[in-house]
Amino acid sequence: MDDDIIDTDAIMDMAGGGGNGFFDFLGSLADYATQPGVLLPGILGGLLTGEAYGRLSDIGQEALLGFTKDGVKIPGALDLAQTQLEQTEFRPFTVTTATGAGFGTKVDPITGEVKTTMDLSPRELATQSQLLGGSRRFFKGAMQDPFAREEELYGQIRDATMADERAARLGLEERLAAQGRLGVKTAQFGGTPEQLAMERAQQQAMAQARLGAAQQARQEQAQQAALGQQFLGAGYVPQQQLLAATQPSQQLAALQQQAQLQGAGLFGEAAMSGLEARLIAEQARANLLGQMGTGLLSGAFTPQQTSPTASFVGDMVREFGGLFNQGD
Amino acid sequence: MAQQLQSINLVAPAFKGVNTEDSPLAQDPSFAEVADNAVIDKRGRIAARKGHSATTTNKTVLGSDSIRSIKEFRDDSGNTKIFSVGNNKIISGTTTLVDETPGSYTITADNWKMVTFNDKIYFFQRTYEPLVYDNASSSVVKLSTVTSASAVADIPKANEVLAAYGRLWCADVSNNKSTVFWSDLLIGQNWTEGTSGSIDISKVWPDGYDEIVALAAHNSLLIIFGKHSIVAYQGAESPANMILADTVAGVGCVDRDTVQYTGTDVLFLSHTGLKSFGRTIQEKSLPISSLSGNITKDIISSLQTENSFFRSVYSPEEGFYLLTFVGQDVIYCFDVRGTTENGSYRVTRWPGTGFTSFTRLEDGTLYVGTSQGISEYTGYTDNAMPYRFKYYSPSLTFGDSSRIKILKKLKPTLVGANNATVFLKWAYDFEGTYSTAEFTVGDQITGFFGESEYTAVEFTGGALTNQRSLNATGYGTSVVVGLEADIDGSQLSLQEINVMALIGKLL
Repeated sequence: MDDDIIDTDAIMDMAGGGGNGFFDFLGSLADYATQPGVLLPGILGGLLTGEAYGRLSDIGQEALLGFTKDGVKIPGALDLAQTQLEQTEFRPFTVTTATGAGFGTKVDPITGEVKTTMDLSPRELATQSQLLGGSRRFFKGAMQDPFAREEELYGQIRDATMADERAARLGLEERLAAQGRLGVKTAQFGGTPEQLAMERAQQQAMAQARLGAAQQARQEQAQQAALGQQFLGAGYVPQQQLLAATQPSQQLAALQQQAQLQGAGLFGEAAMSGLEARLIAEQARANLLGQMGTGLLSGAFTPQQTSPTASFVGDMVREFGGLFNQGD
Repeated sequence: MAQQLQSINLVAPAFKGVNTEDSPLAQDPSFAEVADNAVIDKRGRIAARKGHSATTTNKTVLGSDSIRSIKEFRDDSGNTKIFSVGNNKIISGTTTLVDETPGSYTITADNWKMVTFNDKIYFFQRTYEPLVYDNASSSVVKLSTVTSASAVADIPKANEVLAAYGRLWCADVSNNKSTVFWSDLLIGQNWTEGTSGSIDISKVWPDGYDEIVALAAHNSLLIIFGKHSIVAYQGAESPANMILADTVAGVGCVDRDTVQYTGTDVLFLSHTGLKSFGRTIQEKSLPISSLSGNITKDIISSLQTENSFFRSVYSPEEGFYLLTFVGQDVIYCFDVRGTTENGSYRVTRWPGTGFTSFTRLEDGTLYVGTSQGISEYTGYTDNAMPYRFKYYSPSLTFGDSSRIKILKKLKPTLVGANNATVFLKWAYDFEGTYSTAEFTVGDQITGFFGESEYTAVEFTGGALTNQRSLNATGYGTSVVVGLEADIDGSQLSLQEINVMALIGKLL
């Protein structure tokens, strides 16, 4: 840290390489400035320049924060932005259908979150509940083991055909009895050919009934799944209709939003054009002052053919510089 | 005043055979009260039956038993063999009887039935595993040992077997009297495969219950004989499809060995006599004419007392159906060439023949089984022993039963009977004691004029007739005339008996 400490001698060296050089320069400058043809325009020019600078600084601040003019609060850019933010803010709306369903949106005042609510009418709710309940039942049926249903169907088919089979069996039995062939047993057919044929036919019928029952069970399963799907879809129809009913309203809301945004934009543009005009005017006024000060200053510091004379200010500067030399 | 002798000519007496059913007084003289060891000869006369000549010379195998059944085996190659059963053995041969019983096969009964089928001969008897013989194996073996045979347990041990419609059919198994079994087509040893099968007809019997006794194939029908009913199936060519054609209640078959085929009918013995299936089928259960209607009571009596075998044979050459009651040693000979007015066959009776079985060979020879072995039905001695021919007429009243008849002469006309001693008998009023007049026919020569020098063929006069005139005695309202003769080498036919009698006063 010792390297960072600069002592007074070093400063003096830097100012004039030692002795009174720098202050001598300043004394000469003071001598020049205090000349009458330099001092007054110089001071006036400096003041005007300073005024222009100050005004330019105020213009920027006023453009940002606004100002009051003749008792009228003129908003700045920040005010304008806040105003436009408020103007373009989402405006909640609600839709009510002819069947009593309602669709609504609102913004949470705390979180700012936009929330949408849909409410069906009691009748629609009942319908939806019924349809969804039916869908649940159909899906439940579709998800059941088809074998149980297959057995049930097979039993029904067998019940339906058993009477005919019994009649056929009795008929055959009667025919065989009439033909004296009830007691026939053969290695080839087991019993009589007719018995084998009938047994085969009945077994085929049973197999077909089994197959038919299996197919029917699976068809019913698929049908239940389809019905479940259908009911499920139908259960959401009120909701879909509600959503469909909100489409025009949403378009209206969008149009409103669009108009709102457009109005806010126009408002901002109008406000900003006023501000800009003022800024330009003020900027022009400041520039004018600055030019006047610059002119004066440039006139004051333009060298003339007269020898410079000592001045009081120059002497004071030089004397001030001599104070630093006493220390040597 | 002396009365004129009245001549009553009994022409061809008894040519209608025996009739024991009608009243003796009302009978036609064409019937006989007794016709023992007689047949109806080719001329319609009553004549002595043929005897038998033993073919067997060595019957060691048979022992003291008799031949119980005979069957000729013949295959398509022309091989023949005579099988018989007796003394609990399966026997072959005719001259020397050979034991063909399979080894380790014990037989305790001789009620075998043999059938030839598809170049084999099968032996069936209840409770016994069937046996079979063919020319290739040349031995009788158990059926289950034949190639492709069913197991022993699956082969019916039946008492009745029939070869028909390309199969063996059998029935009458112990504890199963209502099932008919059939073998596979042309395979008599297979009873469980192919088209083999069975039919239980216990629900088919027309009277609710019966037991199968015999089977027969006739007129494309399978005929199942029960004891008291008959069931006929048609379409037996395809047993699985055969259907009931007819049932007959009240007529059955007594024994399987009484069934014989005559070409037009199937004869069988029922409990009420000899029946014909063809006629039974035609008339169904309506009253039918018994073929033994002239001796029904005799047949029934014999049936009731028979405790042994029944055997029968049909001989178209001899024109008779023989039915023997072996236990009683009596044979009924039914002449099948015609029937009497009541539809019955003419029948005679052969008692004490000792015939225990018969078979007709392919060439028409009739074999007879006896205790001597196998004999041929031929000649006029029973194995060189004479037998007694008997004829007795029914009671004759000569048209007026109220008047006394006094026999004066009896003039029989006999044909043949060379050297025979003939006993002419008569009795009055149903008495059992007969008066007898004996005469001997003598040694007859068939040459013209009774000269032996004319016995050459070109001079022969054929069978000789002998007419005698014998004096008779006694009197009565009804007369029975009889004739007996010991047949010992020559045929005897009774052509006629001329009875000369005086008709006396009214009683």
